[in-house]
Amino acid sequence: MSEENKIATEATRLGLSLDVWAVITAFLLALLVRVGVLKHVPW
Amino acid sequence: MATSVALPGSQARDPFANVARFLPGVLLLGVIGFAGKVLEQSINGYAKAHHLVIPNIEYVLWAIAIGLLIANTVTIPQIFLPGIATYEFWLKAGIVLLGARFVVGDVLKLGGISIALVALEISGSLILMTLLGRLFNLKPKLTSLLAVGSAVCGVSAIIAAKGAIDADDEDSSFAIAAILALGAIALVTFPLIGHALHMSDNAYGLWSGLAVDNTAEATAAGALYSDVAGKVAVLAKTTRNATIGFVVLGYAIYWAGRGQAEKVKNKGAFLWNKFPKFVLGFLVISLLVSVHVFNKEQVGALANLSRWAFLLTFAGVGLRTNFREMSKQGVRPFIVGALGEILIAGLTLGLVVGANSIWKL
Repeated sequence: MSEENKIATEATRLGLSLDVWAVITAFLLALLVRVGVLKHVPW
Repeated sequence: MATSVALPGSQARDPFANVARFLPGVLLLGVIGFAGKVLEQSINGYAKAHHLVIPNIEYVLWAIAIGLLIANTVTIPQIFLPGIATYEFWLKAGIVLLGARFVVGDVLKLGGISIALVALEISGSLILMTLLGRLFNLKPKLTSLLAVGSAVCGVSAIIAAKGAIDADDEDSSFAIAAILALGAIALVTFPLIGHALHMSDNAYGLWSGLAVDNTAEATAAGALYSDVAGKVAVLAKTTRNATIGFVVLGYAIYWAGRGQAEKVKNKGAFLWNKFPKFVLGFLVISLLVSVHVFNKEQVGALANLSRWAFLLTFAGVGLRTNFREMSKQGVRPFIVGALGEILIAGLTLGLVVGANSIWKL
């Protein structure tokens, strides 16, 4: 099993797919930006 | 390869131990991606200072090239593997955050065009790959996997279909290797073709999103052309990804009907299970931006977070592309895949050119 598959499998074992973890992470980051914790993200 | 990988805070009692397992690989992704960014800026700065006219090579290409160089010249130490494998996680988080760069109107316009083209692309790809698989006497289930991989979304679709149609590990490895190798080739050829045909950013992005199979490579192929093309490629690719459940369900029913796969008991649950949830996340962020939940500065911050997530992804694309490993999978599936991809690239190019003449993309 590839490393990517292992991560996906482990994520699913927690009851949430890797997709959902990625969405949760992105929403948390968006929340931090919205409440002003992350004010400026340079690029 | 590592024996198992747990998400931070999930399996091990000590959450710091879990974070420590991912940290080296994620840092490596960050270092390679950042090196690509520094290289792009340094070369551009040097050319400007010395009044040289040289083509801009985007950080995307540098990050992928450095990753490729490492993956194909040295054996990557075990300690980096779990973190490197998180590139797909960063890709999906990046796509959700990219929603900040689309107002709902854009999504509806380009997404609407994408849906129409995706329907044609999927039908054409499935038919082409099935015919080529039969012509080259590939095993039927390997043909199914290649068809699903090239029609919908590369590796994710192959993994989803593998379980649904009870395909062999060997078949799915063949199909994945072919799709990844062809994705790597697309990274070089697509921008060249796009520039040769003087395609607009929107048209090229749409083409990349329709024709390049794996989401990471489709995103990279778009970003290699321009920032706008990268954005449109993600939208088109995301539209394709959204159809994964329907296509895999169709194959599952087909193989179950032949007594070679388990019957799907609850089709609704099957579709929801296979549906890529990051597509919904992308739409939610896009909607929030459209109703002004975020101000202009915050939208910029979200867009930059998305760029950082993609930077890690592009480094991962290079690092996981190992040509030695791919060559072990044999040449026949690769030839079928290559022929199919060339035909699909031609078909989708025709579709995009046609759409461009109607909607002025």
